[in-house]
Amino acid sequence: MRTGATRGTDVGGVGTDVRAVGLVTGWGKGLGALPADAGRAAAGRSTIAIERRPLDGERFRRATRECVLGVAAVQALLEAAGLTRADVAGPATALLYVTAGGYGASNRAFIEAAVTGKALHFPYTAPSAVPAEVAIEFGLTGSYLVFVGGATTTIEALGHASLLLARGECERALVLAVETFQECEDLYARVRWLLGRPRVEAAACALLTPGPGRLTVRDGAAASDLTRRARTRAGETLACAPLIALALGLESGDDVLHDTCE
Amino acid sequence: MLRADPVAIVAAGVVTPIGGDLDAFWSALVAGRDGISTIERFRVDDLRVGRGGEIKSLPPARPGRPLDCRASRLLLAAADDLLRRSRVDTGAARVGVVVGTALGAVEELERALDKDGRPGVAAAALYDSPGRTLARHLGCRGPVLTVSTACASGATALGLAADLLRTDRADLVIAGGFDVLCRFVMRGFDALRSLTRERVRPFDRRRSGLLLGEAAALVLMARDGDARGPRMGRLLGHASTSDGAHIAAPHPEGRGLETAVRGALRQAELEAGDIDFVSAHGTATTLNDPIETAVLKRVLGSRAGEIPVNSIKGALGHTMGAAATLEAIMCLLASRDGIVPPTLGYEEADPACDLDYVPFRARPLRPRVSLSTSLGFGGCNAALVLEGATT
Repeated sequence: MRTGATRGTDVGGVGTDVRAVGLVTGWGKGLGALPADAGRAAAGRSTIAIERRPLDGERFRRATRECVLGVAAVQALLEAAGLTRADVAGPATALLYVTAGGYGASNRAFIEAAVTGKALHFPYTAPSAVPAEVAIEFGLTGSYLVFVGGATTTIEALGHASLLLARGECERALVLAVETFQECEDLYARVRWLLGRPRVEAAACALLTPGPGRLTVRDGAAASDLTRRARTRAGETLACAPLIALALGLESGDDVLHDTCE
Repeated sequence: MLRADPVAIVAAGVVTPIGGDLDAFWSALVAGRDGISTIERFRVDDLRVGRGGEIKSLPPARPGRPLDCRASRLLLAAADDLLRRSRVDTGAARVGVVVGTALGAVEELERALDKDGRPGVAAAALYDSPGRTLARHLGCRGPVLTVSTACASGATALGLAADLLRTDRADLVIAGGFDVLCRFVMRGFDALRSLTRERVRPFDRRRSGLLLGEAAALVLMARDGDARGPRMGRLLGHASTSDGAHIAAPHPEGRGLETAVRGALRQAELEAGDIDFVSAHGTATTLNDPIETAVLKRVLGSRAGEIPVNSIKGALGHTMGAAATLEAIMCLLASRDGIVPPTLGYEEADPACDLDYVPFRARPLRPRVSLSTSLGFGGCNAALVLEGATT
């Protein structure tokens, strides 16, 4: 994730620790579900979808699949960090959401509703619908940013979360990413030269807090070893990739804050 | 604890339904020109409401650079206007781009879903595609970011741009917002019954909903100490927050908006008493305007009734991702020229909206510090604190 090195963003004397990462992918829940080699495990499949809706019930009756995946990733994070909902509720928690194309399914459904007759509540077409449902579910009322972009953008979001912590604008930050592919499989197939394979649906959320680590975002062009490992294990997950890399670093005991961050 | 230093806003460029450049926009706003018209660019005969703030003519796409995407064309038109007003080497490695949008290039998705659509159209349908097109066009090689906090996007983009400068990620940032008026969004708001069949009347007793508009607005930002020559003003503070309450409606007491306003003031190291003027979100929906009024009264306290508040959505329609950037620019131009544009459509007072909304005509007033507020779907809120240039 440290991509070359020209100039960096040192966000001041306050460090940033990555406390935990919650993860749901097309391979299953958590890092343990990831294969050693996503390409081999895909066995020719172009997309590994998250087949089962992870949460259900009346509360999520109108919500889109990507909204529910976002909620599931934060729930997985809380379990991984040993936190309760009350620990993160309120204005002291920042929520930063990133997606490259997680809005595609809802946009398409809305456009095609005239033909299919399946009406989608219009506000769910917005990229911000996912973090909105997360904020509602967990009572998050602090700093709030919604980025549209892939892995590089997630790295920017991690840097920005660190800045919010350094300025005391939050006590903790959740950096959340969700990517879905299934509903727009034909469109992704048309631009297949832009994306790696297999495309793996994923939702990941990292908890950042002040701590002894230091987080630096650098300009550059090449991916780090940890990011490459994340791609090998998980496949193409776009905005989720840096968060999966953080999870791999935490699990393996790698000095993640030196490899992905400085 | 890190401080958030003020950031200079050097220049601006726009394309709007009431003017194709900054000068035309500003003179139309001050004159109270109404930019709402019948939509002509796409089919509206099956919708309840077929009016909006449509830009009737755009500069032609550049020779040799065919560009079908209207969102990108809006952004490039605003950038051309900006670059006519400021000498900036956008090819420099340290120029960033941050744009906010509610809809991105969603109109391209409709074309991409056409079975005969060209493969490239699918990539062009991504929400961050117009921002990348802009950066490519300008040759910018700094960070390129797209934010989408719904209709607060144009404010969030300016706040994020300021942070790229403060953290030395860029030396200059071109930042702002855009959105197009298209069938997708018209269908959506039509289904929500949010659009009025009458005039847009922010804060008025008879208000019955909003109308949508399209626009792009960009500003050139630099670290305060680095900005040379004339400038429009400074961004002193910003905050974007979440309601955590409802997918479509604002929090009934404006909880998130209040948090955003107080956060922006804290970052600016100012008190509510320092505010001279408020550019409100003011959508003219029955829900938004009294909530926003109540928040302003709580934050501004006993001075609330003395501080002019306007909404320019009566003139332009709600330009979504562009709205907050246009409103920030309006604040700085008001400081420059000593005149505040009126709230077009506001005529009859509502007991639930009892502030000074600058009715009927522009008012001579030179605000030094302005507050701009924005709200969006999903409980997005943003506030900007701006200071006009003193010369």
